[in-house]
Amino acid sequence: MSDEARVNVIIVGGGTAGWMTAAALARLLPRRCAVHLVESEAIGIVGVGEATLPHLRAFNERLGIDEAEFMAATRATFKLGIEFRNWGRVGDSYIHPFGTFGRGQGEVDFHHYWVRMRQEGHAVADLQAYSMGVALARLDRFQPPDGDPRSIASTYGYAYQFDATLFAPYLRRLAEGWGARRTEGRIVEVERDGASGDIRAVVLESGERIEGDLFVDCSGFVSLLLGRTLGEPFEDWSHWLPCDRAVAMPCRTETPLSPYTSAIAMDAGWRWRIPLQHRTGNGYVYASRFISDEEARAALVAAVEGEPLAEPRLLRFTAGRRRRSWVGNCIAVGLASGFLEPLESTSIYLVQAAITGLVELFPERRISAVERDEFNRLIDLEYGRIRDFLILHYHATSRDDSPFWDYVRTMAVPETLSEKIELFRRRGRVVKYREGVFLDASWIAVYVGQGILPRGFDPRAATPPSEAVLRGMAALGEEIAASARAMPGHAAHVAGYCPMAPAA
Amino acid sequence: MNARPIERVVIAGGGIVAWSAAAALKRKLPRLAVTVLASEPPADALAERIPATLPSILGFHADLGLRDEDTIVRARSALRLGTEFVAWNHGLAPYVHAYAPHGRPLGTTSFHLHWVRLARDGAPPPFDAFSPAAALARAGRLAPPGAEPEGLEHGLVLDLPLHSAMMRAYALHLGATARETGLADVRLRADGFVGSLRLDDGSELGGDLFVDATGPAALLRSRLDPAFEDWSPWLPCDRVLLGESPAQPEPPLLDRAEALPAGWRWRSGGVERTAHGLAYASGALSDEAAARLLAEGGARAAGAPVALRQGRRPRPWLRNCVAIGDAAVAVEPLEWTGLHLAHSAIDRLVAMMPDRDCAAVELAEYNRQSEAEANRVRDFLALHYLASARPEPFWRDAAAARPPASLAHTLSLFRERGRLPFHEEETFSRDSWLAVLLGQGVIPRRVDPLALSVPREEAVRRIEDLGASLAAAGPGLATHGEYLTHLTRQVRR
Ligand SMILES: Cc1cc2nc3c(=O)[nH]c(=O)nc-3n(C[C@H](O)[C@H](O)[C@H](O)COP(=O)(O)OP(=O)(O)OC[C@H]3O[C@@H](n4cnc5c(N)ncnc54)[C@H](O)[C@@H]3O)c2cc1C
Repeated sequence: MSDEARVNVIIVGGGTAGWMTAAALARLLPRRCAVHLVESEAIGIVGVGEATLPHLRAFNERLGIDEAEFMAATRATFKLGIEFRNWGRVGDSYIHPFGTFGRGQGEVDFHHYWVRMRQEGHAVADLQAYSMGVALARLDRFQPPDGDPRSIASTYGYAYQFDATLFAPYLRRLAEGWGARRTEGRIVEVERDGASGDIRAVVLESGERIEGDLFVDCSGFVSLLLGRTLGEPFEDWSHWLPCDRAVAMPCRTETPLSPYTSAIAMDAGWRWRIPLQHRTGNGYVYASRFISDEEARAALVAAVEGEPLAEPRLLRFTAGRRRRSWVGNCIAVGLASGFLEPLESTSIYLVQAAITGLVELFPERRISAVERDEFNRLIDLEYGRIRDFLILHYHATSRDDSPFWDYVRTMAVPETLSEKIELFRRRGRVVKYREGVFLDASWIAVYVGQGILPRGFDPRAATPPSEAVLRGMAALGEEIAASARAMPGHAAHVAGYCPMAPAA
Repeated sequence: MNARPIERVVIAGGGIVAWSAAAALKRKLPRLAVTVLASEPPADALAERIPATLPSILGFHADLGLRDEDTIVRARSALRLGTEFVAWNHGLAPYVHAYAPHGRPLGTTSFHLHWVRLARDGAPPPFDAFSPAAALARAGRLAPPGAEPEGLEHGLVLDLPLHSAMMRAYALHLGATARETGLADVRLRADGFVGSLRLDDGSELGGDLFVDATGPAALLRSRLDPAFEDWSPWLPCDRVLLGESPAQPEPPLLDRAEALPAGWRWRSGGVERTAHGLAYASGALSDEAAARLLAEGGARAAGAPVALRQGRRPRPWLRNCVAIGDAAVAVEPLEWTGLHLAHSAIDRLVAMMPDRDCAAVELAEYNRQSEAEANRVRDFLALHYLASARPEPFWRDAAAARPPASLAHTLSLFRERGRLPFHEEETFSRDSWLAVLLGQGVIPRRVDPLALSVPREEAVRRIEDLGASLAAAGPGLATHGEYLTHLTRQVRR
């Protein structure tokens, strides 16, 4: 039956996006598609992208990837959230945890009670003290969450921090085992069908011509198929997200192994710090309008907390995205579809979202428009929500100590975001989604962490007597602190569970 | 800045919707002074008059602190597991839409994709044969609480007068007050807010927030703006005739919704009486003919036909006046969404209570959610007509209508490959959509690739096994009557 003929899928690019796509298609749709990946070792991969979101666990599980093996192979550590330093004000520090504040179970969100107690003048601890994920992170401890929803240890989630140069090779091994083919070589030409405009084949430097039905563009920033060949316009968001460069440099880990990523605000951007088993990744993401490459590099070198393990490396990008990710028979996944800076570790998540969409909407050889539309609708939603969340971090600040911060503090933000901020400012209300990467607790963490405090609270939180609320909060704070203290250290847990192979 | 909290709420309307709102507000926000301007609900307020309700009513009650003994035993409710749809597609057998999953996923793929695979080149048992809830409902049996099939939910068939009286008593018990005179006039302030209501006895009733539960006329809210979004292109019925007949000794667990040449007729079994009704298009069926059809269904009419204008107010909440129930969204009884939408609006109102200034940004969020919810309900109801297959002009026109964009997308994606797009604020679960789509014969053009990764023989075998195990359901379990008797005894004890 022609209906059931296999679709020849050509994946262009062998970075994280390319091999995640190859592995997922080969594993989940073995009868429906033949997977062929083309990559150029000479061009190489971007090689950064080390901090992830908890969603990646579902991706790995669906593919049947063993967690401990994967973590050992990629020299991974656990990630309970992101620490933001110096964002709202110089000297501030808060953690955006993968988890809730309070138990996250009541009808009214915990922070409403917290706001009420503060407004009544009671001395209550910082909101951070009421999050199990934050407490664990601050103590550099880790233990997998408890499955019993009554337990306080069920109120946090986790993700991974791994070596970006090891993840793609790890997936490659799996994907090839599941039947994916790979060709090494540089693509020099892309052939299109004269009538439909669809992509027919890619031609390599060697002259080899590779034909396919469906092309997945994982070529990174060049966006070889979607951007260069099909000319899909780029929506530039750099007026809201002005950072356009990064300088990256790994160093030896000389500090305790923290189970979180740090994002430390700098004069013209921010710096990441990602502790892995064998090293710590560092990088300064900055806006070239406000600082020179040399200054940025010097600032990074001065700031890293360990012996440098490589020369600083420069990367350039523009915040924004291709208007559509799926055009004709070409679907862009990863940097080829767009880029949002790594402040909240969303890039690999977006890769995953696109792959999930592709798997769920996998077409026939003759692609129907409705699948494309649904895919693009889903990706639009993802990008839009992440974009606003990232802009919030820059905008919610009182920093006025550099031209960069003056700009982001005073810039006009998208209306979709200013409305969200206004709702929170008035009454601590967070626009609820059932689906989406960042749910209520994430927004609350950043608002409160960066000094946007509600003027009012949900009137339902006014009902219980103050003493009862205070008692409950104190008990919760103690329970969190005690159970965090009872958990093993992060380094010890990693060493027991998923130690990397000793260096050869 | 005007951040003074709302203290006085006035609710206009004296039916279930108004009293439920009063009870919810007093229960959740006890500091509010809540006054209900109670009058007999108008005949066209269908949310007040349709006894069949969705499973969400149980959560609403639990949230208010009402127990089964109040809402089921004392208020004489029956249970319902779903609806049986008869003759919506001429060529197909009746189907059941119950509130529960169909089948079990095979591997990581949804059961229905495998069923579609068999249906494309064979004739598997109908889709609802794989719903444990539908099997129970057809057999007229109920599993004891705690032992229901996974995911099963049931709704209630209310005794409307008792239910209304119970809500009223409960709201008063919680501290709401009632005013029993009529509404003479709505007084607006200079800034367009509602200032007060002038009452028939000459007095004035002031408040910070006015909740309009007066039915489709929206006596308060319509004074602020008349905007109305008309859904008649997709929901062609514009009349409803209600009726009743004596209760059956064992009320059926399924309501019956039967398509007729120019509309449809229903029956819901309650404890005290059986409710009947007919929804029809006045252009295609006269009121006399409608009365005959109702009588043929075994009912005597309860009142004159009521005119129905289906649609919604684009902004149910404007300034300090919020419309709920039929005042916000008016829909025919199909799928019993009237009271559900009212409850949902009440929950939203409680959760989003603003300050006295009713800031536009807060109301916009309320209205955005209301709109998304109402539109998907509209889509779900419209689906029944668009996916109908009957020869009469009424039905042919209905099936030929151009669907609203969100439903068009849902339909084309489903017709292509059996997937359903995700929407926020969706009232009906995926399984509900599937029950209607597949029950009315919308079969996807192709089999989803993920389903093909399970070998065909294995899929066939697992589907057959499941069908066989469900066919055996029923005997040994309680009948509806036994179940209710048991509940009553428990309460007495
Ligand atoms: C500074 C920085 C920090 C980041 N931090 C994070 C983070 O913490 N968390 C996160 O989730 N993400 C992060 N990202 C994003 C993350 O790195 C990427 O999303 C991820 O690595 C996927 O990249 P990719 O596979 O799309 O592109 P690449 O890794 O660039 O791969 C492109 C592939 O295409 C091939 N190719 C290109 N042109 C041709 C050609 N002509 N012929 C043949 N092959 C070709 C290349 O050889 C390569 O294999 C970060 C990005 C940057 C820039």
